[in-house]
Amino acid sequence: MKLIDDFLFNTLLRNLFVSNSILSVKELTKSFGKRKAVDNLSFEIREGEVFGFLGPNGAGKSTAIKSMLSLIKPDYGDIEIFGKSVIKHHNSALQGVGALVERPDFFEYLSAKQNLSMLAKMDNVSEGKITEVLDIVGLSTRGKDKVKAYSQGMKQRLGIAQALLSNPKLLILDEPTNGLDPLGMKEVRELIRKLSMEGITIFLSSHILHEVEQVCTTMAIINKGKLIKSGKVSELLKTSEAFITEIHVKPIKKAYALINKQTYTSDIAESEGIIKVKTAYENLNKLNTLLVENGIKVSAIIPRSSLEDYFLSLTGDIV
Amino acid sequence: MQLKLIYIELVKIFGKVRSLLGFIALAVLMPLIIWGFSQGASSVEQDVERWVGDSFIIVGTAFNGFLVTYITMNFLWVHIPFLLMLVAGDVVAGEGALGTFRITLTRRISRFRIILAKLISTYLYTIILVTFFIIMSLGLGSLWLGIGDLVVYDDGVLILPQEMVWGRFAIAFLFATFVMFVAVTLCFMFSAMVNNGIGPIIGAMAIIIIGLAIANIPIDIFETIRPYLFTSYFDIWQKAFYDPIPWGEIGRDVLILSGYTVVFIVISFVHFIRKDIST
Repeated sequence: MKLIDDFLFNTLLRNLFVSNSILSVKELTKSFGKRKAVDNLSFEIREGEVFGFLGPNGAGKSTAIKSMLSLIKPDYGDIEIFGKSVIKHHNSALQGVGALVERPDFFEYLSAKQNLSMLAKMDNVSEGKITEVLDIVGLSTRGKDKVKAYSQGMKQRLGIAQALLSNPKLLILDEPTNGLDPLGMKEVRELIRKLSMEGITIFLSSHILHEVEQVCTTMAIINKGKLIKSGKVSELLKTSEAFITEIHVKPIKKAYALINKQTYTSDIAESEGIIKVKTAYENLNKLNTLLVENGIKVSAIIPRSSLEDYFLSLTGDIV
Repeated sequence: MQLKLIYIELVKIFGKVRSLLGFIALAVLMPLIIWGFSQGASSVEQDVERWVGDSFIIVGTAFNGFLVTYITMNFLWVHIPFLLMLVAGDVVAGEGALGTFRITLTRRISRFRIILAKLISTYLYTIILVTFFIIMSLGLGSLWLGIGDLVVYDDGVLILPQEMVWGRFAIAFLFATFVMFVAVTLCFMFSAMVNNGIGPIIGAMAIIIIGLAIANIPIDIFETIRPYLFTSYFDIWQKAFYDPIPWGEIGRDVLILSGYTVVFIVISFVHFIRKDIST
């Protein structure tokens, strides 16, 4: 709990005082045949942010990430990291970037240390860094084991370890909790928070809404290759379209009819003595007064704002 | 940095069991071949004596390590490329299939440097395997069967004196290695184009086998296209045993083979540098 508090405090401080652009995606477009995987996508990440990149499977998240890392060439647009174009200045733009894209694939016939040793040579960092990153991800005792003996969770952690080798200022993680059990997921999220507290800007792609809600400070939602919404997670969740409130009332039929007549409410549903309604946060007082004045007993009004509701309201898709 | 990258590629190559198959095959096959020859030594000796008749005096025995190496080189020059292609076909495509490019190509190293390191390490592997072949054929053959004059056939029987043979083998192996470079570069080019390690091996071997067949089948239509096929020059190493050595002809063959090799390299580099890593 203290870790989360520290994390939020640090993030808040950084967002208040620092706002350098670390990654800037401009009008990124990429097609595979006739299918547009990414369509005119633009967003920006500022220093110190934990940026959630959210979208259903097949939304174009991985294509966008691969373009950012110059694994695929965009048809149009540009990506700047630390102010340098990835397309024109691949090497200098990727200096200070660590990434884990899709699955963490390694040379399975080599040990974790041998794999990291090869990458350390490419990154021009000392062998001592290998022990350090293995320690960070909790694999220091298994470094000499061949990767083929690793579980999916261990491979995932090794994937994060290789991304940390080059002392990155920007860490790009594509679905880092994929294949992990709940404990493993929790550990990875805590690791992300810890890295963020150490000053690393994090780009986290995920289709797990709960994960983005828990970890990220800002986010972008994409669907069918297009940006739907972006901004601070807390602010996006406050918008009326995302705000669902549970109202525990008696008699429920009368309350339902009354709420349904109001212009500031929508999407009303009723089940098991509870009414669920979409309305802005500032309308809740007004709604409470209205119900009480009409002789309805209100036992609870509970705001149930969640990213999942928000996401579904934007895309209408199942994540 | 380039040396580091080459070292990394060599670690990857020699870490795989398939890279050792060529060495294992030669380590098993060559002693067997030499032993087989030694068992039929007297009949080979009689054949050689029948060819040369009374016109020549052979120093030592005609059946020696040199002759066995020369014969072995003749029938293994289609098989050795296959052993080399097990590595060359996998060196780029294998990583594509494995997905490791998503980790290596996101580092601040250009794709040019990476593909160059892969090509150089494939050539180094070629040199190491050919050297092992030399040790297992010429080295083991000389120790087992001794040395002497070398009887070869070049528009008639030619006997190369013992003191000349070492030099001729050095030239022959140099050109044989060069021919192997051409074969592995062809396979490497296919490897850079796909994400499956088997396809490049099959593709390159098919081209070489068909090309060699066209180069050797005496049909008019094949005669016309023969000069344009790189496989028509694969026997360049045999010219090291001609007397005198046809340097002019060898120079032309080397130029043609080099031209093909450069084309294969350019295609593989351009394709690799431009390709999308979708796996």
